Amino acid sequence: MSDLPKKKFVITRFDPDVDEVPKTQEYEIPVEPDWKVLDALNFIKDEIDGTLSHRWSCRMAVCGSCGMMVNGEPKLTCKETLADYGDTVEVSPLANFPIVRDLVVELDGFMDKFKSVKPWIIRAKELAVDEGPMRQSPEELEEFKQFSMCINCMLCYSACPVVANEPEFLGPAAIALGHRYNVDSRDEGAERRNEVFRGEGTVFSCSFANECSEVCPKHVDPAAAVNQAKFNAVIDWAKGLVLPRGGES
Amino acid sequence: MKNLLLKFEPLIWLLFGQGIMIGTLLLTGWVLILGIAAPLGWVAPLEFEHAHELAASFIGRVVLAALIALPLWKGAHHMRHVFIDMGGADRDSKVAPLLYLISLAGSVAAIVAVVRL
Amino acid sequence: MARASHPHAMHPKKPGSTRTAAPQMPPKFPMAGRYRAYTLFDWTGLIYLILGFMALEIVWALGTGKAEWVALMERFQNPIYVIFHVLALVSVIFVGVRFFGFFPKSQPPRIGPVKPPPQPVILGGLYVAWIGISAVFSLILSGALFR
Repeated sequence: MSDLPKKKFVITRFDPDVDEVPKTQEYEIPVEPDWKVLDALNFIKDEIDGTLSHRWSCRMAVCGSCGMMVNGEPKLTCKETLADYGDTVEVSPLANFPIVRDLVVELDGFMDKFKSVKPWIIRAKELAVDEGPMRQSPEELEEFKQFSMCINCMLCYSACPVVANEPEFLGPAAIALGHRYNVDSRDEGAERRNEVFRGEGTVFSCSFANECSEVCPKHVDPAAAVNQAKFNAVIDWAKGLVLPRGGES
Repeated sequence: MKNLLLKFEPLIWLLFGQGIMIGTLLLTGWVLILGIAAPLGWVAPLEFEHAHELAASFIGRVVLAALIALPLWKGAHHMRHVFIDMGGADRDSKVAPLLYLISLAGSVAAIVAVVRL
Repeated sequence: MARASHPHAMHPKKPGSTRTAAPQMPPKFPMAGRYRAYTLFDWTGLIYLILGFMALEIVWALGTGKAEWVALMERFQNPIYVIFHVLALVSVIFVGVRFFGFFPKSQPPRIGPVKPPPQPVILGGLYVAWIGISAVFSLILSGALFR
């Protein structure tokens, strides 16, 4: 270990029982050549400072747990190779989220927005089991498949300037997942979801910064979903002018 | 006011989108010739009689009305975003109507301008 | 150190059991990294507002009479106007490139039974329209067409 090069880590620390505001703490540690940022954090916690708190799980960029700001950019720390970084690495909690402790952020705000778009198949009438499965062609699947790849890592929320400034905005992942179901040929719940898309968290708040798609580690392209959702909302609005619906949705 | 803004959002976004699309398609030649090439003498400036004849045609009036009005909606909507990005979200329900009123006034003036040609 | 986001950014409906620290803005916002292009894109709104009202002035002068038209065309020769229009042209091209780049992916996969063309076709079509319309409009405004 002593022959290994060292890197300095400047890490945000916050203990709500002790600290008024977050501060930074520096750790200089030897790093293995193949380490990810997460390996360094785990080394710090295991060997140097057991009080450091951070979320992680799968270590292979599929669970979405380990999202943090690395040198000012939202990243999955299990995916970021330390060799791509210089001698000093800044690690801070995800931007735009309230900070619970150290690198751990409050996620319930996202869960509220996520649940509000009803991210499940909605049917006017459920099929009976003996009616068989709902069939879907490969072409129908392609229309929404990329939007279903979201791992809820919330890097997109950290990058979005509208999330930073407009607290009611539904945000990239929630809209992308709502849109995923709107476009799913098995779903019949678009009308209900569009009430949410046109409500206080309106999809039209998106200003197409495209940062969400730039930072998404799973290439979901939430910016595409949000703007497709805007387009669909305009079509529904125009249809509503020409063919006004009754009260029931 | 916030509910009114939410209700009209699809229309505003449509006008904003067309402001970018059609505004950009039309403004490129417009700015290049009327704003740069003609003043610098690279091309002869349009004579009044010829300009008026072009403008007063049906297509001329439609194109000019679009060229005036649509960029105003793009402009207003983006300035609303600028204001929000600078931390003004809590006052958006006061600022946004003001900006859209400007583009609405400009759009009405555009129609008057092409009608009176 | 980044500045604060909106104090209620990403706050849950029901507060958690411990005190949280205020959400922080992404450090590179608004003028570092990729955010610079986004912020400048929004600020072109000001240019478009000015261009719209200047176009109104031009058409109004055309409708008023020859004297106003000639006076306005002479005013446009002022270097300040020319510099503004150079900035405006750069802005319009910047807006076009950024917007047309994003346009194809913002089309829904289907509107009723109708699918949009493949994204490269949409992008190519937009640039063909942009160059074509700009060329024709330029020729008309310089008196080379429809004399």
